[in-house]
Amino acid sequence: MSWVAKTGSALARLALLVLALGGAWSVHAQAVPYQRPVETAPQQDTIGGGYRTPAVQHPLPRDYWLQVVDVVALGAAMGVSIWLVLKRRSRTWLVALAIASLAYFGFYREGCICPIGSLQNVVVAIADPRYSIPIVVTATFVLPLAVALFFGRAFCGGVCALGAIQELVVLRPIQVPRRLDRALGLLKYAYLGLAILLAIRPALAREFLICRFDPFVGFFRRTGSPHMLLIGGAFLVAGMFVGRPYCRYLCPYGGLLAWCARLARRGVTITPDRELDCGLCAGACPYGAIEKMRAVGRNCLYCARCYSACPRDGELAHAKAGLVQVRGAGPQ
Amino acid sequence: MSDLQTRRDLFSTVARGTVLAVLAGGAGFLVKKANGQVVWQVDASRCINSRLGEVGVAACNLCTTECVVALSAVRAVNEYSRCGRCNICPAYFNITSAVNELGQPSEKLCPRDAIRRRPIGKVDPEDPANNFYEYVIDEEKCDGCGKCVMQCKEPLGLGSITLRVRYDKCVNCNRCSISTACPQKALMQLPVHQATQPAEVQRPG
Repeated sequence: MSWVAKTGSALARLALLVLALGGAWSVHAQAVPYQRPVETAPQQDTIGGGYRTPAVQHPLPRDYWLQVVDVVALGAAMGVSIWLVLKRRSRTWLVALAIASLAYFGFYREGCICPIGSLQNVVVAIADPRYSIPIVVTATFVLPLAVALFFGRAFCGGVCALGAIQELVVLRPIQVPRRLDRALGLLKYAYLGLAILLAIRPALAREFLICRFDPFVGFFRRTGSPHMLLIGGAFLVAGMFVGRPYCRYLCPYGGLLAWCARLARRGVTITPDRELDCGLCAGACPYGAIEKMRAVGRNCLYCARCYSACPRDGELAHAKAGLVQVRGAGPQ
Repeated sequence: MSDLQTRRDLFSTVARGTVLAVLAGGAGFLVKKANGQVVWQVDASRCINSRLGEVGVAACNLCTTECVVALSAVRAVNEYSRCGRCNICPAYFNITSAVNELGQPSEKLCPRDAIRRRPIGKVDPEDPANNFYEYVIDEEKCDGCGKCVMQCKEPLGLGSITLRVRYDKCVNCNRCSISTACPQKALMQLPVHQATQPAEVQRPG
């Protein structure tokens, strides 16, 4: 192509013309002069013969009302999560909800937008007067936190796509020693701080750490850089034996949810004085969220395993205080 | 004990109220300055493939290699109203390849064979140079490598093909990874209504 550069505009056009004509020459003995200089685009009328210019596709981004639907779906899924865990105490249905959320927020929406990543946009929008975010992003960020203030981390159980993909691979979870669990749990606050620090830098140096190093979004999009897919795979393999490692030790939004969940009035509760005091629930919790026979709201990920492990779960579901009695030990 | 419990309840109620107020205040602040949606788009007058004056240089394919979406959310789009509908389209044919018996270059330019060529109306065999041809890009095959874009501009083409972000593909990353890689800073965030307009190419200077 260097000849084009050298000859310049006019000569190059001539060259193309010669090329085209040269080709025509070989077929037809008579040369046909090129009567249509390529300077203006022929329009429908020039072409004639009822020719219609095809429509150019300029697909619009996802409709605003569909983005509102996403936020409504987020709220509804959290409502269902609360109802399934606190009222129905049903692990089975919670798994079904997790699969549905994984399909919708994960594979269909390809992991965007999620409350975890929206955290950075919110921080930037507060720090930078020239940066602002759509209302749906604000809502996506605030909703799970507001819910956590009252009911605990309902978002983490069966709604968050990143949580759901890890929830479904938990195979033989070990109990992480309490001190190690706590120490690793501090990592997520360091990550949160780092993400905020990088997000509030000036516009050109700004970095969205959480999105860049999201270990699972590559699976949702069925494409991604090899090293991130490897890290994601490693998290899933580790997640078979250590319950939900990303949620417990790295998720920065999980850190915020944990603070809010501390203040929750309702949430998953274990009441040994009313129940059997057998400790099966504590053994069943892969997330170290049952300490001294009490559910710890800030660590509870709403998985409902404690209920399904409870030998008296059937009686306790829908039970009111006072109705609970050990079978055969008291009046029926 | 019950006194302690009451005090704890009171504390958590106050704390919860405070956090709610902070959340509501923050949300209110953000809603007040909320914008419409902004999306990424290629500035055709910055992109080295479509920018005028860039001739004889290799096409830049960073849009293909850097995008996080499969293939790429950036595709070549032919703005038909600007297309010359040429017989020998420099974006369709590899015009440096040998001429075949039909009088056309023997190779196509697109590595993924994503451009379709069909004659418009009746073809006059006596006057092959002056027939009109329609060039349609198969958006499902195109990966935005920019080769056709580099050719479809002066001196040979009219600049009807440009690289565009396809919003049915783009996931609208916070920081578009193509924008980070693009040496021309050709990717910019625009309000939706501006970003979905056809691309404008400006002459340098």
